[in-house]
Amino acid sequence: MRRVTAAICSGLVLLAGCHVRDTRRLIAVIVPSQDNPFFKAEADAAVARATELGYRVRVDAHEDDAYRQDNLIDAAIASNAAALILDNAGADASISAIRRAAKAGIAVFLIDREINATGIAKAQIVSDNDQGARLVATEFVRSLEGGRSAYAELLGRESDTNAQVRTKGFHAVLDQDAALTMVTAQSANWSQAEAFSKTETILQAHGDIRGIIAGNDTMALGAVAAVRSAGLKGIRIVGFDGSPDAVAAIEAGEMDATALQPAVLISRMAVDEADALLKTGSTGRPEVQVIPCDLVVKANAGEYANFEKRR
Amino acid sequence: MSERNGGRFAASVLLLLKLRAVFVLLILLGAFSILATSFLTANNLSILAKHVSISAILAVGMTFVVISGGIDLSVGSVAGLAGMVAGWLLTIGVGGHRAGVVVAVLAALLVSCGVGLLNGLLVSRVGVAPFIATLGTLYMARGSALLISHGKTFPNLAGTAGGGSTSFAAIGQSFVLGIPLPVWLMVVIAVMASAVATRTPFGRHVYAVGGNERAARLAGIRVGRVKLLTYCFSSLCAGLVGLIIASQLESAHPATGESFELNAIAAVVLGGTSLMGGRGSVRGSLIGAFVIGVLADGLVMLGVSEFWQIVIKGLVIVLAVAVDQLQTKVEARILPAVLRGTAAGERA
Repeated sequence: MRRVTAAICSGLVLLAGCHVRDTRRLIAVIVPSQDNPFFKAEADAAVARATELGYRVRVDAHEDDAYRQDNLIDAAIASNAAALILDNAGADASISAIRRAAKAGIAVFLIDREINATGIAKAQIVSDNDQGARLVATEFVRSLEGGRSAYAELLGRESDTNAQVRTKGFHAVLDQDAALTMVTAQSANWSQAEAFSKTETILQAHGDIRGIIAGNDTMALGAVAAVRSAGLKGIRIVGFDGSPDAVAAIEAGEMDATALQPAVLISRMAVDEADALLKTGSTGRPEVQVIPCDLVVKANAGEYANFEKRR
Repeated sequence: MSERNGGRFAASVLLLLKLRAVFVLLILLGAFSILATSFLTANNLSILAKHVSISAILAVGMTFVVISGGIDLSVGSVAGLAGMVAGWLLTIGVGGHRAGVVVAVLAALLVSCGVGLLNGLLVSRVGVAPFIATLGTLYMARGSALLISHGKTFPNLAGTAGGGSTSFAAIGQSFVLGIPLPVWLMVVIAVMASAVATRTPFGRHVYAVGGNERAARLAGIRVGRVKLLTYCFSSLCAGLVGLIIASQLESAHPATGESFELNAIAAVVLGGTSLMGGRGSVRGSLIGAFVIGVLADGLVMLGVSEFWQIVIKGLVIVLAVAVDQLQTKVEARILPAVLRGTAAGERA
């Protein structure tokens, strides 16, 4: 017994000896989740860039829960983070927590999603969801090759701002074309399994559908699986995000187009601007920066990987 | 004379209440057939049954747990975990050796069963309340699913002809005699489970444990073992559901199955199984799953907004439980009359 205790004690002493105090400054990264390829690419890019620039990094996920985000921001304040890279949990619900972080001296950089307030965060770098949605919708119309066409829309989670901006962008283009009729719009809550079963049902109710336009790639891939399972051919399917799986499906001819959100670029920009601010006192850029999306179709699918254009 | 009629009336009221889920199902089927022209087609009914099979298989497994007086909140996470285990073995494998379909499926079911075993041990041996024990494993299974791929999706599970995994797609996508395989799986599991519940000593033991655990123990029933088996069966059903979904989508996503447990519990309750344990049936849960499935698909066909779909689903569940309470009250009040009625009938 005594020998075991001695062994544990010496082990602890050794561990303590190994632990060198890390003097690098901390950048906290908070994203919605790490089980989604988009948010994961975004977090990974921020971590890679910050480590490269000599920062200590910590990544957390708020699971789209504003209360959880609140706690994570408190934790960042408590651990004296120099900067916070945040993909926030709600345009209004996040404001007070971000203000608290800013007051505590943390430079907050918002990525991917804006908040409904300016002057609190050092920067809000977002991809242009409206422009991306119009790009995808234009390609969708082109792929239907004219003539009278019925189509269905799969919406994202209806309480999500991006879901609303994207559907508005889609319809700004689609509603211009008198030959197109939307037979139904159903929410599949960004989920592949839900999009699969809802598309199967929609295909039953509306056998004349020639296209499906989805608010994100995950749902578009669910629709691809449903169309395949129904043995149908020639139904045009487009999505949004530019996820690697969707890009692969486009290359394979199962999907027609997606708008690639430059998530990796945005994360890198945020870290670079945080670095500039910490070193020079200024980001050198305006607060709100809107980065355009890229249209990915079969012809250029090979140039894209994991939310960035291959260099 | 009047007493006999009263008895008959009471008996028919009770029968109506007991068959309420069937009536609700028939009303829904009727309404959607009128409102949506393509609802009552063979093709749509086949797809509907395929959608229902997901929550029905979960509900059948859950039924035994609930009858024995427990609850299993971990089924959704277990479904996600099973899909990820299969996806991992099929696409990456151990030490560079990708597994065949049979091995991947068996391994996924084995892992699921392991979670069930853990649930059962926590509940029966450690004495953790079922709600808490399975809430814990809900998180553990979900976290493990995320850890397997570091949060990524395993795509292309259909595989290539050379990769040896093409038959994985068959689990969720193939047809037998024109009916989707998941529907057959649902039917086989439900028939077997129903037979076990009504015709085997184990089935009676499950009811006994849920009805009065102390009495069951005193009667010599091995309560712990009965509970352990119910949780294992529930997890096994959940694992199968995870495999079906991964096969249908030809990809495994770690978040698959979130809140599936609630659909399964709703189906079980709609089917007349008491959350207090001791009362219920596999057949009821199956009908409950169909009610929820028909409602979901029918409303999508009609193009009803997602928000209304959620409200309506909630309403149906609450109403079902309210009627369940009514049934209990009616039984308590008129059962003596019914008994007198039948006795009088026999005499006459």
